[in-house]
Amino acid sequence: MSTVDDQRQRLEFLQGTLEVLILRSLQAAPNHAYGISQFLEKQSDNEFLVDNGSLYPALQRLLQRKWIAAQWKTSPNGRRANYYRLTTLGRRQLVAAKSKWLRFVEAMGRILAPEG
Amino acid sequence: MDEWWSKVRCVLGLRRGLDHDLGEEMRAHLDFMIEENIARGMPPDEAKVAARRHFGNLTRVRELANEAWQFPQVETILQDIRYGLRSIRRSPSFSLIVILTLALGIGANTAIFSVVYSVLLRPLPYPAGERLVWLGESTPKAPGFSVTWINFQHWRNENDAFENMAAFANADLTLTGRREAVLMHAGVVTSSFFQMTGARPLLGRLFNESDNLPGAAPTVVVTPEFWQNALGGDPGALGSSVTLNGKGYQIIGILRPGLKFFVRPVDFYLPLGLSTSSTVNRSEHGSMHVLGLLKPGITLTQARTNLDSIMQRLALSDPGPEDDHRAYGTYLAEERTAEIRPTLIVLMGAVGLVLIIACANVASLLLVRNTARAREMAIRIAIGAGRARLARQLLTENLVIAALGAGLGLVLADWCLRTLVLIEPRNIPRLSEARLDLPVLLFGAAVTILVGLFTGVAPAFTAGRVDLTVSLKEGSGGLGVGRRGQVFRSGLVIAEIAITLVLAFASGLLVRSLIAAQTTYPGFDSQHLLALELQLPPSRYKTDENSRQYYDQLMQRLRSEHGVEGVGAVMCPPGAGDCGDWWYSILENPAPARKDVPVSLFNIADTSYFGAMHMRLLAGRGFSAMDRPNGALVTVVNEALARNWWADPRLAVGHHLKVGGPYVDGPMLEIVGVVANVSQMGLDGEPMPEFYYPFSQHPSTAMVVMIRSRSDPEALMPMARHHLSAIDRNVPIQSLRTVDQWLGTTLARRRFSTMLLGLFTALAMVLAAVGIYGVLNYWVSSRQKEIAIRLAVGAQPSAILRWAGWQAARLLALGVGLGVFGSWGASRWLKSLVFGVSARNPGMMLAAGAAVMGIAALAASVPLIRATRVDPVRNLHDA
Repeated sequence: MSTVDDQRQRLEFLQGTLEVLILRSLQAAPNHAYGISQFLEKQSDNEFLVDNGSLYPALQRLLQRKWIAAQWKTSPNGRRANYYRLTTLGRRQLVAAKSKWLRFVEAMGRILAPEG
Repeated sequence: MDEWWSKVRCVLGLRRGLDHDLGEEMRAHLDFMIEENIARGMPPDEAKVAARRHFGNLTRVRELANEAWQFPQVETILQDIRYGLRSIRRSPSFSLIVILTLALGIGANTAIFSVVYSVLLRPLPYPAGERLVWLGESTPKAPGFSVTWINFQHWRNENDAFENMAAFANADLTLTGRREAVLMHAGVVTSSFFQMTGARPLLGRLFNESDNLPGAAPTVVVTPEFWQNALGGDPGALGSSVTLNGKGYQIIGILRPGLKFFVRPVDFYLPLGLSTSSTVNRSEHGSMHVLGLLKPGITLTQARTNLDSIMQRLALSDPGPEDDHRAYGTYLAEERTAEIRPTLIVLMGAVGLVLIIACANVASLLLVRNTARAREMAIRIAIGAGRARLARQLLTENLVIAALGAGLGLVLADWCLRTLVLIEPRNIPRLSEARLDLPVLLFGAAVTILVGLFTGVAPAFTAGRVDLTVSLKEGSGGLGVGRRGQVFRSGLVIAEIAITLVLAFASGLLVRSLIAAQTTYPGFDSQHLLALELQLPPSRYKTDENSRQYYDQLMQRLRSEHGVEGVGAVMCPPGAGDCGDWWYSILENPAPARKDVPVSLFNIADTSYFGAMHMRLLAGRGFSAMDRPNGALVTVVNEALARNWWADPRLAVGHHLKVGGPYVDGPMLEIVGVVANVSQMGLDGEPMPEFYYPFSQHPSTAMVVMIRSRSDPEALMPMARHHLSAIDRNVPIQSLRTVDQWLGTTLARRRFSTMLLGLFTALAMVLAAVGIYGVLNYWVSSRQKEIAIRLAVGAQPSAILRWAGWQAARLLALGVGLGVFGSWGASRWLKSLVFGVSARNPGMMLAAGAAVMGIAALAASVPLIRATRVDPVRNLHDA
């Protein structure tokens, strides 16, 4: 899997995208921080490198906004971990953010595609 | 919003477990990765290292996550504040001196500012108080005297500049029918007065137009205080009637508390229209003045021009002796405070100067300390602290110290203010309302921040230029900033000396003025003299004959008492001010032009008054039994009046004084005597022309009976009261006190301001002395080695003293030089406060200079002596 030793050029997160992606990663089930970074890297085909220095502060911000909640639980393989789950507020936020981002991406694509 | 709020809760300490949780969470995170690495076949050690590497900087991630919960800017400020507090604890005596110095400066400034704010700046407590103007009539010679009823009616009905206009006057009335007769004070007002002052009734109603019509039924609106004290707070009092001057007035309303318009508190309000003397004669003056509410956007000048044009029209349509009268107007807020304004400005300036000295001392102390901390700063810079960041930290430290000083200063200010209100002379309007309210606290905060910046900027500036290589070398600590610092500190000391000299000069002038006023010969012998102020109720003393009889009987009884040397009566005793003034001319001299008719105070005295007062008679005679009510009209004039017309005042006798001047009706009086001036306007007032009517020809119900005793005048008080009630217990005593007390109160305000200025000067002197001591002491310390070498190569201690003394003398000379300039400039502001001496007084300049130099020499002597005692052996050994 990915390590920082990878020389391949990764994409950096655009401002404000990481938080939406975290919300998305929690849509199916609660997860812990490592699980979230795994999910994001896997889903992006390793295009994204999740820096813990960004992930953890983003998680704290989401907690402050009450979009996610945290709880210590035991993982399937018997480890204790802090699991984050979406709150109702977070779920509503995700729906809104998702449609906004899709429109944004589509618009970007429409502008960039003819040249590319 | 949620985000912000949870941050606040977190800063407030509701986030105990977070840091611990984060640590555990990250450990779990690492464990997952290690497990996965092992599962992929790595050896455990390698798996751990790889996981660590992949995770990144654990501490940094943790810090970043924590920061999400913080206000990073605030946290660094808090950190600086904590650091500042720690450094205060580290050097407690240094910090105590700095904080105390600042507390004195900030406290005194806050206290005086709260007085200034309350007296001069606070908006008047009336709706649209800033548009209220005080209106009077004026001539070129006399601005702002009473308005006649007719003129008022014309002004009110014909102006286009005012939204509303009301007339007001004062009156004293005797309340009878409820135990003893009591003299009461009334505000006599037209109905719009209440609208303009925003007064509302608690019960009943206020005046309306019909109450103000001449011939209306007499009504009264009482204050809540009168209602409580005289009427027992009984709501049934509404509609009942009170007897004032023998006439029944129906109570139609009780005011809500809080209306304070008249400087002397009033007990109730009467409608003005009832008592107005003349509704026909345009030149019949009472004591009525007018309150106007300017229309928005109209200036005072426009309003005055508008009223002037009405007066000019009236001069044509209703000509009379006062056709040259014009309107006089000033903003009510200014009218109230015109007299006290210069005093307060001087005090505020003085206290500001004290603050500057305090700041200079603190800045100089901080500079010394920063020099001592130069190594600390050099190390910080060497390990990567930015200069801006260091400067910010030093500033924060100073602000912390300034804030502590301000906190203590506020306590001090509160205490000062209570004391001030207690000792105030009772005649400064609204001073008793001064307190530490929001605007005053804002001022205090602004001053504190300025002080923090001022005292911090200079040291921070020099701290930013620490020379690393010099400062880090052992033993040379501080020299890197020493030279620049010394120049700066010398400048501060020069400023301190100059400011102290200005203050010493000013307070010296005021003290001299006070002494001059106190030792002024008042024109009569004020010792062993009792003043009994009476006002006969007009209902019982309707005719002149009644008053004459009453006073004759009273004085006869008093004279027969054993301890009484003499008794006399006067309408307006010395120190009582202007009880009445009027135009006059001298018949035998050329008539002055209409606009040049002089004005004189007038007074009434009985036959024995001049004798009882021990007033010097310069020429002619005093009043006597020859001056019969229906005989030839006579007068006695004072020296000031006589000197206006004759080089030798004695020449006045035999001439005739025309009351009212050549153009106004008035009796003709023969001048039969000239008496010495008395301090009519108070001990610190200039003598004014004055003429006396004989009581026999010009009786009055209101007189002050002067009783000269053979011994302690206060011992005669019970006797005087006894005789009064024996004759008629319905005559109230207005006041009974010794003349010394009476005259003393005329100086109360002067004493008050002199005392405050003296206090500030003393404070400034102490602070300046501390400053001079500090700078020279530091100078000696930093040159110990140099002195030691000089001594070792054979210099005499006296030579060292000369050399060090020269340093001190240079500072002193520059400071005194600047101070003389400053004082000369400041004397312009002091002119109105000075009495009996000139404001540009070289003698006082010399005295103040000597005092400051004396203090400075005293403060400098300790470090100078220290300089001669430097031990060369030990000093050179240590090096």
